[in-house]
Amino acid sequence: MIIMTVIIAGITLRLWYLQIVKGEYYSQKSQDNRIRNRRIRALRGIITDRHGKILADNSLGFNLQIIPENIDRDNIKELSGLIAELTEELEADTIVKLYSKSSAYTRHRPLTLKKNLTADELARIEARKYELPGVIIETEPLREYPYDKICSHIIGYLGFINDRELQLEAYQSYARDDLVGRTGIEARYQSDLRGRDGLRQVVVNARGRELETFTVKSTVSGNNLQLTIDIELQKFAFDLMGEQVGSLVAIDPENGEILALVSTPSFSNNLFSTRIRKEDWQRISTDPLHPLQNRPIQGCYPPGSTIKPLIAAVALTDQLINPETKFFCNGSLTLGRTRFRCWNRYGHGETALLKSITQSCDVYYYNLATRVSIDRLAAFGSEFGIGRKSGIELPGEKSGLMPSSSWKLKNVHDQWYTGDTLSVCIGQGYLTTTPLQIAAMYMVFANQGTYFRPHLIKNDDINGVKVDINDKNMEVIRKALWQVVNTRRGTARKSRLTNKQWEMAGKTGTAQVVKQHLETLKKVADTPWRFRDHAWFAAFAPFTNPKIAIAVLIEHGGHGGSTAAPIARQAVEFYLNKLDSLKK
Amino acid sequence: MTLSHHNRQHSTRIGTATEDNFSPETRSHLSEKGLERNRFDGFDYFTCLMTIVLIGLGILTIYSATYNPEATSWLTGYCRRQLIWVGSALVIGTILFLFHYNVLYQAAYPLYGLGIILLLAVEVAGSTHMGATRWLTLGNFSVQPSEFTKLTVILALARFLSNRRLPPPYNLKELITPAIIIALPAALILKQPDLGTAMLIILISGVIIFIAGITRGTIITLGLSALTAAAVGWQFLHDYQRQRILTFMNPEIDPLGSGYHIAQSKIAIGAGKLFGKGFLKGTQNSLHFLPEQHTDFIFAAYAEQWGFLGVLILLAIYFLFLLRALNIAMEARDSFGSYLATGIAAIFFWQVTINIGMVSGLMPVVGIPLPLFSYGGTSMLTSIALISILLNIHYRRKG
Repeated sequence: MIIMTVIIAGITLRLWYLQIVKGEYYSQKSQDNRIRNRRIRALRGIITDRHGKILADNSLGFNLQIIPENIDRDNIKELSGLIAELTEELEADTIVKLYSKSSAYTRHRPLTLKKNLTADELARIEARKYELPGVIIETEPLREYPYDKICSHIIGYLGFINDRELQLEAYQSYARDDLVGRTGIEARYQSDLRGRDGLRQVVVNARGRELETFTVKSTVSGNNLQLTIDIELQKFAFDLMGEQVGSLVAIDPENGEILALVSTPSFSNNLFSTRIRKEDWQRISTDPLHPLQNRPIQGCYPPGSTIKPLIAAVALTDQLINPETKFFCNGSLTLGRTRFRCWNRYGHGETALLKSITQSCDVYYYNLATRVSIDRLAAFGSEFGIGRKSGIELPGEKSGLMPSSSWKLKNVHDQWYTGDTLSVCIGQGYLTTTPLQIAAMYMVFANQGTYFRPHLIKNDDINGVKVDINDKNMEVIRKALWQVVNTRRGTARKSRLTNKQWEMAGKTGTAQVVKQHLETLKKVADTPWRFRDHAWFAAFAPFTNPKIAIAVLIEHGGHGGSTAAPIARQAVEFYLNKLDSLKK
Repeated sequence: MTLSHHNRQHSTRIGTATEDNFSPETRSHLSEKGLERNRFDGFDYFTCLMTIVLIGLGILTIYSATYNPEATSWLTGYCRRQLIWVGSALVIGTILFLFHYNVLYQAAYPLYGLGIILLLAVEVAGSTHMGATRWLTLGNFSVQPSEFTKLTVILALARFLSNRRLPPPYNLKELITPAIIIALPAALILKQPDLGTAMLIILISGVIIFIAGITRGTIITLGLSALTAAAVGWQFLHDYQRQRILTFMNPEIDPLGSGYHIAQSKIAIGAGKLFGKGFLKGTQNSLHFLPEQHTDFIFAAYAEQWGFLGVLILLAIYFLFLLRALNIAMEARDSFGSYLATGIAAIFFWQVTINIGMVSGLMPVVGIPLPLFSYGGTSMLTSIALISILLNIHYRRKG
């Protein structure tokens, strides 16, 4: 009897422990048991172009899931076989493995077998639904990019948040399986586009059946974003680039709005909108032409002769020359023991400013280089955006390089020589620029002296900054640029606009990839592709009251006048025609 | 009247037949004591009341455990069937009460034999439910012979022990026959497989033999052999049985969720806290997180709704009930009655202990119902029959 009493007292003690000591703990557990929190995904903000055309949209993705609880253990082999047969890339063994991993606690939770089913797969599964107990199709908002390759560098793409990011403070409000912007606008404006997820609480029974649902927090869709891009121009320009590798940047000179930002070759950002397939990733990331690189803001190229108007401008401003100052070009200039050659081995003869730009005489600029200091040049160029990041709303922008004496001392451990300035003044040497910087520089020539920060998001608060150049000098430079396109000896005369009501002004450029000597210079067609020069053309139009400033760079395109300029001309004409028709 | 006449006639005959085997004290009591006591004087109202309270609480809990808000009447399903079982059990109990319990003395061995036959029948023709063959289907109802066997084993033991010429304490050699009496049904039940009931029979028999008295040497020898048996027995256990024991020892391993039952049941009990969630408000139970919430795990459903206070009340009732049963054993007119009452108390004690210990996570999960409380016909029939025998022993006590 004593034993009996002791045993019953022991049981009482146990129950006291469970109900009184740990009562709170088990109460919470019983709550957790029956109330499940379900997140409702907020719709991501839509991205449109300047005219409201949708560039990034939300559509429905269909995911294949199984609920282990509703599948008989004896059936799973057969079922997995059938699923594998109806879908692509799924193997029966993997499904069985996944199924058997779920424990008693997780058996009611759906397991995702495959995301983003194709229409074919969906149809096949729906048709045999009755043979597939425990198999469900879940829908989920999916990011969709209607213009795909055409503006994938601008828009970017999404990717699943990774474990490392989930640890970070910045991602505190995120959960596993969340998609975040990885590049482009999607990444830069992640927090704006994301919106706020809602919360739904569901009372479930032990089988996972939902008995009651109430919304605790409703979703708030992400903010929509309107870009300054004109998608029609972007598409037209993209098509013009064709197979060629390079960039095209078009800016509205009246406010710095970027109208087009083309980078080729491109990639399909729709491929990334869920988990990208391994072979696609392999193909894209190992492509020798680096399609993922956003060339207009990340490609740093020697600007070649497109830099010459800037050199002329600083020389005029500092009164080192006047427009009539002439230098004699006999095909080269010797400095110390080095001969610096003009691209024209026979020389340009007596050359003043207008002729130096129109015919792109190198010797003229070698002479200017001996008069101007590199540091002054760097400071002046900076006003035009050369050598610094523009601050465009895209991640990964490069600044290019506008060298200075201190830069060289620090990075090359050598003093600055006048010879270095000579190279810089014809857009070679240490100087590199991005296509965006060149377009921005020509925007300043277009609007007669105001630098607007180039931007992709409509923003009325951007104030132009006047560059340090007077109107008279500006007129000289502009006139020279006009002559390049519109006179008989101009390097881009073939690319004058066909519609005579507008005139384009611009400058060609040919940037050497490898140092070449005149003796070995051959025809472009005979040079291997990767040793060919980069071809530049930068311009604005119409000459009076310009509406577009443009820079085109074709990697290894040879001469700017013959490859880059025609593309720029067509894009400009397309845009001006469009503006014209919009006015009517 | 006819029945009571029969009763008297039988008892007299049995009394005469067994007189020589009773100890001298018993015999003297027998001669002193007639059966002329007032019919209602010796009736144990207290035990009766507690039985009714337990059955009532049980039905209430079955009702809440199987509560279906869409049902048209509360008196449907499990509740109704349980009431039918209670009714038929009361009829059988009443009939049993009318006979002198010495009828059972006479019938002990035949009943034991019947029990063994039924167990063999299960072996041959039993219906399999959830992997175990424990039931014999008779029309609409299934019965579990192993429940019945609990009774027949203690009857056989009580008769065997009270019949001995040698007085206790017993040594090992003298315990061979009782051991066979116990081992035969236990082995058959273990084979069904029903580890819980087999263990229960051994534990109950152990109590009877212990109370009867055994030598110290025997206790030590038995203890050692029990350990050996456990080690050997492990080899013969079913995988799921081993799993249950392993899961109990270490709930973390839980690959197929055998720990799930214990975990959910502990949550249900714990969430009841001091006052409980209230009648029909147990979410663990109503949302079916609790497994077998109206049978083996009914205690958890009760504890969730009524809290620690309700649990205390329930345990107190069982405790008083057991004290009463042991009291009856002490006051029995003969050693057969004494052993029988002890066995009955042991059945209730071990069932309550094992069941509550199991649902509160103190013991491995074995299929033992909470007597008088859990849903189930066989269990109810057996329990009420046992109580009827207790009342019988009390009614015909000495003094």
